Amino acid sequence: MSVVYINLFLAFTMSLMGLLIYRSHLMSSLLCLEGMMLSLFVMLAVTILSNHFTLASMTPIILLVFAACEAALGLSLLVMVSNTYGTDYVQNLNLLQC
Amino acid sequence: MNLLTSFTITTLFMLIMPIILTCTPAYENKLYPQYVKTTVSYAFTISMIPMVMFIHSGQEAIISNWHWMTIQTLKLSLSFKLDYFSMIFVPVALFVTWSIMEFSMWYMHADPNINRFFKYLLMFLVTMMILVTANNLFQLFIGWEGVGIMSFLLIGWWYGRTDANTAALQAVLYNRIGDVGFIMAMAWFLLNTNAWDFQQIFMIEHKNLNIPLAGLLLAATGKSAQFGLHPWLPSAMEGPTPVSALLHSSTMVVAGVFLLVRFHPLMEHNKTIQTVTLCLGAMTTLFTAICALTQNDIKKIIAFSTSSQLGLMIVTIGINQPHLAFLHICTHAFFKAMLFLCSGSIIHSLNDEQDIRKMGGLFKSLPFTTTALIIGTLALTGMPFLTGFYSKDLIIETANTSYTNAWALLTTLIATSMTAAYSTRIVFFTLLGQPRYSPIITINENNQFLTNSVKRLLLGSIFAGFLISHNITPTTVPQMTMPCHLKMMALTVTILGFILALELNLAMQNLKFDYPLSTFKFSNQLGYFPTTLHRLAPMMGLSMSQKTASMLLDAIWLENVLPKSISYFQMKSSITVSNQKGLIKLYFLSFMITLILSLFMLNFHE
Repeated sequence: MSVVYINLFLAFTMSLMGLLIYRSHLMSSLLCLEGMMLSLFVMLAVTILSNHFTLASMTPIILLVFAACEAALGLSLLVMVSNTYGTDYVQNLNLLQC
Repeated sequence: MNLLTSFTITTLFMLIMPIILTCTPAYENKLYPQYVKTTVSYAFTISMIPMVMFIHSGQEAIISNWHWMTIQTLKLSLSFKLDYFSMIFVPVALFVTWSIMEFSMWYMHADPNINRFFKYLLMFLVTMMILVTANNLFQLFIGWEGVGIMSFLLIGWWYGRTDANTAALQAVLYNRIGDVGFIMAMAWFLLNTNAWDFQQIFMIEHKNLNIPLAGLLLAATGKSAQFGLHPWLPSAMEGPTPVSALLHSSTMVVAGVFLLVRFHPLMEHNKTIQTVTLCLGAMTTLFTAICALTQNDIKKIIAFSTSSQLGLMIVTIGINQPHLAFLHICTHAFFKAMLFLCSGSIIHSLNDEQDIRKMGGLFKSLPFTTTALIIGTLALTGMPFLTGFYSKDLIIETANTSYTNAWALLTTLIATSMTAAYSTRIVFFTLLGQPRYSPIITINENNQFLTNSVKRLLLGSIFAGFLISHNITPTTVPQMTMPCHLKMMALTVTILGFILALELNLAMQNLKFDYPLSTFKFSNQLGYFPTTLHRLAPMMGLSMSQKTASMLLDAIWLENVLPKSISYFQMKSSITVSNQKGLIKLYFLSFMITLILSLFMLNFHE
């Protein structure tokens, strides 16, 4: 494996760690989610371009579309939590109520 | 021969004269009521002559004198049918109206609009005559609508009272529903027989008469207050007592029965309609008798009694005995009008008190009224050889011995015993016992108008049944032989009703009135029929139409169907399904540990 791939894989792993381990703000996990999406996008684009895999050239665009949708969902959830509690602290999500 | 037609026309014209004289100074005169009463009495005398001629020689006539209009192939003319039914009913109706007018000269003497009251009564009488003597359906319909309108005007006589206005409106609306049936029958006859004359309709052989006969039955249900269209009759007691006596006991409510009697040649071959009529009449007579058992207003009890007797007449038509039904119409007029007049005398003497729980002990104070009330009650329940016996007992005997619906027969018998029960209740509460009214009023029945009118109807209640049934031309042959227990059945159930009611009333007299049972409430609230139907159905219709008109597009289609319903559904289902506790960091941590662990375990497997 070349260095580029190791670099991008490391970036993905860092973002994953950031997604799973965070202190209080929900926003930080959403940002790390974006980081994961970014590293995946670049890895996919580099692979397709270096292997001249022309048929799959559309795939990064589709990945971007789905990333945008999920970012929107995540943000709307964040906004709902923030509407109820004023902040986005994770320790607020303790009520068994909708 | 000539006297028959000319005297009939004279009678009818005499009745119109006081109405025509409305625009002259005679109307403003204080003696106008007297004039109207004597006109009606002379009309009665003159109408007796055609009746006697008919009884003597069996002569019938049809007077067809004015050609009104011809519409394409339909010829409408003013024609009067003087046959068995109309020539016997006209003197009876005039006799009863004469007595009622004399009574209302006493009852309404303090009313400033008494002239108008008499004019309305006379207009009602004229339209009733038009109905009875009509030879074609168009003229009958004119009379039909006329009596409906006069009923509206007379029920709402005291129009300052909200209840009276509501009751008048109720009468008109329920009659209108019946009129739909009438018009349907008229339309069918016009389409299929090209005539509205009775002679032509009865001459032609029809294939299937279910539709027009059902329409006529609906019309009779509306006009004669059968079950389903019955609430207007007890509510019509808001009018003055003479109105109740004339319209809603003797003449107007029998118009429906009279219509069915007129069409008996068509009905006697149609078993379906006869069965429907029988069941409807039996249902009515039982239901209204149940309702009459627990009412507290004396006029309402007598109104329900009228309704029950009307149901009995419809039952008679249902067993294919139109002549017996007509006989019951004539005899019933006498004693029912008298019962109403007696109740009017009691009400007026007790200073407008209509609740029987506040009457009592009138046996000694109002002897004449007491006599009339008791004789009227006995005639109503079919005491042998009074008026009611000749028609009612015959009806029950014929029903017992005919091949008919056993359930209808049973309900009719139960209703007959209930007739005796509520009549006993009236007598017990108003006449017997200690007085329960305020002692400072003066009770006086000494007025000549009252006594003369009630006396006349009293003689009618005792003798009219005998006189009529022994002088009319023979009709259908009554059943001559039957088992003894069937013959005594009517008398037995009546005596049973009497004894039961008397015992219950005497036994309950000194007990505390406990919380009423559900059957009592059912009976007292008229079976909850007006309560549910008068408010619930219109309110549901109106609110649904308002919601549809104003809120359907905006609030429902644009807002609620897609967006809000989806969000609502998702929220509900996620609440039901999820059992999370919200420990997000722990979940993420466990996810990460699992990942790393799996990474290590799967990579170092060799």
